[in-house]
Amino acid sequence: MAETLRASTNRVLRNPVAFSIVLSLLLGAAIIAATGTNPLLAYSEMVRGALTGSGLRNTVSRMIPIVGMALAISIPFRAGVINLGGEGQMVIGGLAGTLAAIYLPLPPVLVIPLALVAGMVAGALWALLPAIGQTALKLPILISSLLLNYPARALTGYMVRFPFADPTVTSSSTVPVPESNRIPKLALFDGVSASLVLLILLLIGVALFNLRTVPGYETRMTGLNSRFSRYGGVAVDRQVVWVMLASGGIAGMIGTHLVVGETYRFLDGDLVVSGFAWSGLLVALLARHRPGPMLAAGAFFAALQIGGLAMQRNVNVPWQIAQVLQAVVIIMIAGRFVLKARRETAAVIEGETTVTGEV
Amino acid sequence: MSVNAPELELRGITKRFPGVLANDRIDLTVKTGAIHAIVGENGAGKTTLMSILYGLVQPDQGEIRVRGELVRFSSALDAIGAGLGMVHQAFKLFPTLTVAENVVYRNEPKKGWFIDRDAAEAGVRKLADSFGLGIDPKARVEDLPVGVLQRVEIVKALYRDARVLILDEPTAVLAPQERDGLFVIMRRLKAAGRTILFVTHKLNEVMAVSDRVTVLRSGRVMADLKTSETSPKAISKLMTGRDIEAVARPSLGNGGEHLLRVNDLGVVDDAGLVRLDRVSFEVQAGEILGIAAVAGNGQSELIDALTGLKPASSGSISLNGVDITQAEPAQRRLAGLAYVPEDRHRVGTAAGGEVWSNLLMGYQRTPKFRRGRWLRGTAVKEHARELIAQYDVRVGSENTLVGTLSGGNLQKLVVAREMTHPAELLIADQPTRGVDIGAIQFLHRRLLEYRDQGRGILLISAELSELLALSNRILVMYEGRIVAEFDAASTDEAELGIYMTGGHLAGAVHG
Repeated sequence: MAETLRASTNRVLRNPVAFSIVLSLLLGAAIIAATGTNPLLAYSEMVRGALTGSGLRNTVSRMIPIVGMALAISIPFRAGVINLGGEGQMVIGGLAGTLAAIYLPLPPVLVIPLALVAGMVAGALWALLPAIGQTALKLPILISSLLLNYPARALTGYMVRFPFADPTVTSSSTVPVPESNRIPKLALFDGVSASLVLLILLLIGVALFNLRTVPGYETRMTGLNSRFSRYGGVAVDRQVVWVMLASGGIAGMIGTHLVVGETYRFLDGDLVVSGFAWSGLLVALLARHRPGPMLAAGAFFAALQIGGLAMQRNVNVPWQIAQVLQAVVIIMIAGRFVLKARRETAAVIEGETTVTGEV
Repeated sequence: MSVNAPELELRGITKRFPGVLANDRIDLTVKTGAIHAIVGENGAGKTTLMSILYGLVQPDQGEIRVRGELVRFSSALDAIGAGLGMVHQAFKLFPTLTVAENVVYRNEPKKGWFIDRDAAEAGVRKLADSFGLGIDPKARVEDLPVGVLQRVEIVKALYRDARVLILDEPTAVLAPQERDGLFVIMRRLKAAGRTILFVTHKLNEVMAVSDRVTVLRSGRVMADLKTSETSPKAISKLMTGRDIEAVARPSLGNGGEHLLRVNDLGVVDDAGLVRLDRVSFEVQAGEILGIAAVAGNGQSELIDALTGLKPASSGSISLNGVDITQAEPAQRRLAGLAYVPEDRHRVGTAAGGEVWSNLLMGYQRTPKFRRGRWLRGTAVKEHARELIAQYDVRVGSENTLVGTLSGGNLQKLVVAREMTHPAELLIADQPTRGVDIGAIQFLHRRLLEYRDQGRGILLISAELSELLALSNRILVMYEGRIVAEFDAASTDEAELGIYMTGGHLAGAVHG
């Protein structure tokens, strides 16, 4: 009995994700104790705040953009392309989707899907810029996509301040999306957005694409070794373009959801302050491009963030503790992966010299 | 320290690696102020010997004397301390730092707590100018061409007061024009009393620049000769003199039909240097055409141009009558090209992928393995299991990660994949490098079977015995050109060796 318990504990601790979570919870407990609060009480408030009552709805609502952005980023990631421009693509797509939802003179049943499509197209086009930059001009996407976040924010800020400003409010924002054109709520989880269904379908779609299709295979191989892919006849440059289009499209759709499904007004800076794109990036890293784990990690982060707020409200522990926990989990996991990768590389290099090195 | 002692003296150096006697009782005496060439084929023990001399590897037996004094190097720092400097084949420089910063690294002139940049630059400039090296101390290393980087490495060694410079195949990375510049520098260093150990396998270079030459073969010293008293032919015989394995001379292919036709193909690299110079040849159906060349003589550029991985600058390629000069790699595969790349780790496989996904590459768009956009998973795995069995790849299953495979197994996997293509032409670049004897014989049999099916093979190999055993014809490449063509049945290693090493230019054949 004790033997099996120890064995299963060992197994859990050897799993880098579980190990990191356990360790970061312990570290968090130490910090909370240092602020003079009982860590167990704080944690129980966190769990309660994240999973009960309206907390559960908030957690699921927060999970949608985090997982969505993780998915957006993971598509190019898996092909070895690092798109750090998720935020810009989300903001640009969000504005395009919002404007479509406000101004398209069509019945709601058409407007809502068209708004999502408009968001996808705008986000995809914004992502196309760095893709072309890399394939045609050799500008690394890593840098150009990151830098394009700033003009995206400035451009949308200008749009909602001047051409599309709501003159009746002092904040820089559009007029609200007409009630009929908003993404409906589900009866599930106390009224969570119907975008959840879309997200789940997307996750399943991407999972199938990854595991079962030819381009899914090709993108994975490019991510593992792009020279090998090129050698095998994969048109790597074209692949870069379309993974970026897909990534920007999903980001733009998430941006549209956040306005047309949640806040109803595109308020300058609103989509940026919550840091969904960056939480999504962390989730994508943790889940290593796999949609299933992405959902789990996204839910965990959303719960941490929502629970952190509840903890602050109820036991007066600053919610930044939740962010500390999140950061520690990431650092621990990243460290574990880096160590593992280094060991593997070392082994390969040693093998190489003994096998083919000149003696 | 005695005045008349030689600069370097190695006695009975022996080094054994698992399964290989890399150095077998090597004696070597190098006089002060000499350019001493060390020659030998791949695997002759040159690199091991130089690593021992530079403290990177410890010998099992033997002793080293520097200017008469017995030394024991436990690391390169000891060797540097004793006045040795090494210029490696792969340069060891910081790309984002300047020349001066690279040179003074670990010996920086200081002004208080800070590096005295002006003093560093002045010192490096003075040193470089005194040997006519012509390098700008302020230049950033990443902006410099290879030839200049090599000179930076030389200055780096000189800055640490190296009396003996070990140049490990310094010309392998150089274009002919740059090489002549290196020789001028070597002579200047010699005139200044420095000693140079020059590792190479190009005989015309030995003849051009060295005073003495030591020939290694299979870890042993075959001869220690005065360059002016020997000839490329004699050295070549000493280098390659192993008995040629008895092999059944291959039956000539069914011939006639030209599978691959290459016309005036040229490649100019980014620096504007000609790497492949108007090469023309044909591969016939049922033929193995061998290419013999020392690394860096244009064969990699030829293969890249044929496979479409890098564009050709001029000329044309046609395969099965289809012009593929401008085609993308995928189109070339469809036109009937299969390719076993030299670098199986970086080009031929993806270490993080499973055996099945590595075996699928290049076929993923063929009808056998897809239905529309969907991958036919069972067919893919089935195919992988078949190849594993046929080619005796030792793996747990088709789901094993390729990164865990040994070199020989990995090579079998790559060869299995490429030979199963319904392609008419196989380009096999070093198909048996680093593979054990049993696997070599297995792969050789497969290559011959492939040819017997009426398909063609372009075989590139550093192993002359392999080329001689398998090929119908052999082309020799040297400095980007085809310099000779032989019927494989009527040539031998010594003759090929002379052309491969530019010996014919030094007058060994026509002189």
